[in-house]
This record gives sequence, structure tokens and C-alpha cells, in this order.
Amino acid sequence: MSANSMTDPRRPNKIFRYKPPSTDSNPTLEDPTPDYMNLLGMIFSMCGLMLKLKWCAWIAVYCSFISFANSRSSEDTKQMMSSFMLSISAVVMSYLQNPQPMSPPW
Amino acid sequence: MRSCLLLLPALLLLLTLPDTRGRYNDDFDDGEDLAEFDDNDFAEFEDVNEDPTVEVESEPPPKPAPSSIPVEDDEDEATVEIEDGQDEFEDADAQDQDMYSKYDKDEFEGYEKTNSPFKDTLIYQDVPAHLQNSWESYYMEILMVTGLLAYIMNYIIGKNKNSRLAQAWFNSHRELLESNFALVGDDGTSKEATSTGKLNQENEHIYNLWCSGRVCCEGMLIQLKFLKRQDLLNVLARMMRPTCDQVVGQIKVTLNDEDMDTFVFAVGSRKAMSRLQKEMQDLSEFCGDKPKSGAKYSLPDSLSILSEMAEVSDGVMDSKMVHYITNHADKIESIHFSDQFSGPKVMQEEGQPLKLPETKKTLLFTFNVPGMGNTSPKDMDSLVPLMNMVIYSIDKVKKLRLNREGKLKADRNRARVEENFLKQTHAQRQEAAQTRREEKKRAEKERIMNEEDPERQRRLEEAAQRREQKKLEKKQMKMKQIKVKAM
Repeated sequence: MSANSMTDPRRPNKIFRYKPPSTDSNPTLEDPTPDYMNLLGMIFSMCGLMLKLKWCAWIAVYCSFISFANSRSSEDTKQMMSSFMLSISAVVMSYLQNPQPMSPPW
Repeated sequence: MRSCLLLLPALLLLLTLPDTRGRYNDDFDDGEDLAEFDDNDFAEFEDVNEDPTVEVESEPPPKPAPSSIPVEDDEDEATVEIEDGQDEFEDADAQDQDMYSKYDKDEFEGYEKTNSPFKDTLIYQDVPAHLQNSWESYYMEILMVTGLLAYIMNYIIGKNKNSRLAQAWFNSHRELLESNFALVGDDGTSKEATSTGKLNQENEHIYNLWCSGRVCCEGMLIQLKFLKRQDLLNVLARMMRPTCDQVVGQIKVTLNDEDMDTFVFAVGSRKAMSRLQKEMQDLSEFCGDKPKSGAKYSLPDSLSILSEMAEVSDGVMDSKMVHYITNHADKIESIHFSDQFSGPKVMQEEGQPLKLPETKKTLLFTFNVPGMGNTSPKDMDSLVPLMNMVIYSIDKVKKLRLNREGKLKADRNRARVEENFLKQTHAQRQEAAQTRREEKKRAEKERIMNEEDPERQRRLEEAAQRREQKKLEKKQMKMKQIKVKAM
């Protein structure tokens, strides 16, 4: 079954090193969520900043959080942090310019 | 001393009186108003003398409201000031203290602390929300922040759960793996090929483990694909559509021809089989028929088989395999053996000549972790027998050999597939060759043009012409030969 007590199946001389599967060969297997969320977050935070819409800024914060939660460990933390900071600054700027609380759409 | 004390307030009063009058004048800047009140300053105000406090009271409330009645307000102001001034002037002695307290009453024009509950026909404007200074008006913001906190909490909890599950899996499988592989755990970065004995964390929900150093195979990459418990959106989506964790083990067999004979085979749940047949390059090419039921081997109905030929199925499905599969049918998503494995079908780009995709001899196993999402670390123990099956399969595949007929069939299949592929890409390859030839010609012409020396230019041109002539002659010869043969 697994390892015969007689013969050890292990072969130390046949060791191959781990090669991370290249992402070029199978782009379909990659999860696009963190990239989309990153982009959405940036778009929303720019909208929030330019058009002074508070709800845009809040959605941007959420997007950057979701992007962070889904990100791969090999991804650049700088990009994550930059989108995060951008969304936070969008929220802060919207409130500084207009301290009124957000009114619900209903 | 007393005279000094008397003098001070008097001075102050003198200061205030002109101020009020000045204000009075400022307030009534319009010429007509001044004319009215010029003769008798107090004539107008004698009427309203009775209730000076009423006018006073009406001052503070309309202050935030837009001042639509400035003239009247100022009148009242003036009234109050002068009246007060007169009062205090009379009772200077008695109201020493008051005067000191009303020292800067100039700053409080028209605002007296007299209490009068007179409130009819007064419009109270709502104070705008951001001036209200209460947290309740910010309830949307509080909601948002609460949502964010909930997301963060879920992230931490989900991450920890996934990590615990991965560790539990590894602990229960460690012994088996270490007895079979010389290298258990490698991230590819260290110089020496030593076992790290740890899982590689690719994501918060994907863990990898590379094992190598065994007979019959190059290595085994095990991927633990957990559910995205760290993402709240995913958690909510899963409540609608339950899915389960997966353990995907991909074993790459050595390229040595002896280790695996040429066949393509897959068995698994019906859904998975139909999906794989559409997606996988090799399954779609070699296993053209629809997935067959495994009743012949007394497999449960939920499973179906995709095979290149019947002999392969017979060879793979020996009693032990059948035993394994039947016992753990609910956990098996798919088992895929192939010597022509090249991954899922790649979308072909327009205008690009296709090369036959690289194939590797591979055994692929996908198992579902029991529990349907609500797995606990204990469930990982139930996957150990499946890993035993994997090891058994590796050894078995090495021993499995097709007989002569089967081999012939398999070779023919492969040749057929290659031919099809070449035919499909024939047109594209021709185009590519044509463009290459044109490029060459153009490059040569340019070289000739760029030659400065006219002599050399002429010589190169002649050489090019001669080459063209030769080619034409060759073609003509070929055509003649073909014609002769045809005849």
C-alpha cells in the first residue's frame, strides 16, 4: 500500500525542487477579484474626492478591504496600502469639506 | 473714593449712550428713517414702552433665521438700550454691582435675561444637522464603521479557521508523506533541498505542499483550496450556494516513458466529469464519448468514467481501486490519469500559429473535504485513506501496461490528434511562413538600397535576381515531376 516495510520508496537522489507554476501559462486559474476590487476602489475614491460624494468614499474603503482580504501573499503590499490610503483620504476629505452626516437614499 | 466710584460708571454710561445713538444712526442709514425720528427720538418708542421685554424676547429666536425684519429689530434694540441706560442712570447708587455686571452689556444688544414665555407666531427653524452636536444624526456613518469592524472580525476569524484546518490536515498526513517522500515541503527559495516540513501559504485560503524524492514520480504538489472564509462577501454568498473545501493533489510523474504507459482516463462525480470533458484539452481530444456509468465495476451511480478505451478502464479499475473509490465516493470529486496532460483548453489568439501544447504525464486528484463548509479539523483525518489511494495509484500506474492492441490504438489516437491539430493550424502556419518570406525579401531590398557603393549595389541585385530565378526553376521542376507522377 503506502510504504513497503521491505523497500523504502523514498529516493533522496531523485529530488526535484519546487517550481511555482508560472501564471502566464494558466491565466484562467488566477482569481481576478483582488485586482478588480483594487481598481474599483481607486475609481470610487477618485469619484468621492472629485464629486464630493460621501457614499463613494465609503464604498472605496470597503473595496480596498475586500481587495486586501483576497490578495495573494506574493502581491505587492505597497499597492494595497496605497489604495487603502487613497480611500481613507477620500472619506476624510469628504467629511472635512462637508461635515454634514450622510443622508440615506430613501 | 465714593466720588471715584460714581464717576466710573458715569463715564461708562457716557460712553455707551453715544454708542447706542451711533448705532441708532448706523442702523437707520436710510435717509427717510432718520428724518422720521430726528425731532423726537423717543416718540415712536413711547407706544412700545409698555412691553419692552416682548421685543427683547423676539430678538434671540429669530437671530438664526434670516433677518426679514431688520428695521424693527433695530428699533427694539435701541429702545432697550436707551431705557436701560435711563434706568441705570437713575439708580446709579443702588445698582453699583449691577452696573459692573452689565459692564459690557454693549456686547449683548437686545439680549436680556428677562424671562417671558411669550412664544406665539414664532417660527423655530431647525438647527442644521451638523450643528446639532449629537451623534445620532451620524447614524449612517456609524453603520458603515460597524460594517467595517464586522468585516475585519470576520477576516481574522476566517483566516484563523483556515489556518487551523490546514495545520490539522498536515498533521494527519505528515507521517504518510514523510514515509513516502524524501522531501516534504519546499518553497523553492532555499539553496539546499531540505524539507521545510511546513505548508506554503499562498493566500489566506490556499496552501501548497511540494513533496519529492520517490520512485515512479517527479514530485507531488498538494494544494489545499479552502473556502474564502476571510472574505465576508464570500461568506454571505456561500449561505446562498453551499460549496466545500477541496484538496487538490497534482502528481507529476517522471517523463520517463517507462513510468507511465500512454493512456487517458478519468473517474469522478458526474458533474465534474462533464465539466472536465469540456474544459480539459486531453480529455476532450481523447475521450470523445460521454461519461459512462461505472456500474460495470460496481461503482456507485454518482460516479462516471471517461476513458480512452475500455482496456484502460479495466486496467485501472482493479479491485483495490474500486474498493477505495466505493468507500469514499462522496469525497471524490475527480481522478484524472493522463500522459497527454496540458491543462485546460487555452483560448487561441487570432492570427497566431499554434504550437502543440506541451504535455506531461500527470495524475490529478481532487477530493472534497467532508462537512460542506462547516469543516472541523477532525474531518481531515478522513482524508488519509484517500492519500493512501494516491500513493497506491502512483505505484500502480507504473505497473500498468497496455497490451499490443491497446498500444496500437493509443498510438493511432495520438497521431490522429496531432494531424488534426496540424490541419487546423495549416492555414495559419502558411500565413506565418508567407509573412516571414516577405519580411526577408524586404530586408534584403533595404540592404541593397542602403549600399552606398553603386558597384556593390549592382552585384547584390544581380545575386538576388539569380536566387529568384533558381527558385522559380525549382518550382517548375517540381510541378513537372508531380504531373509526371500523376500521369
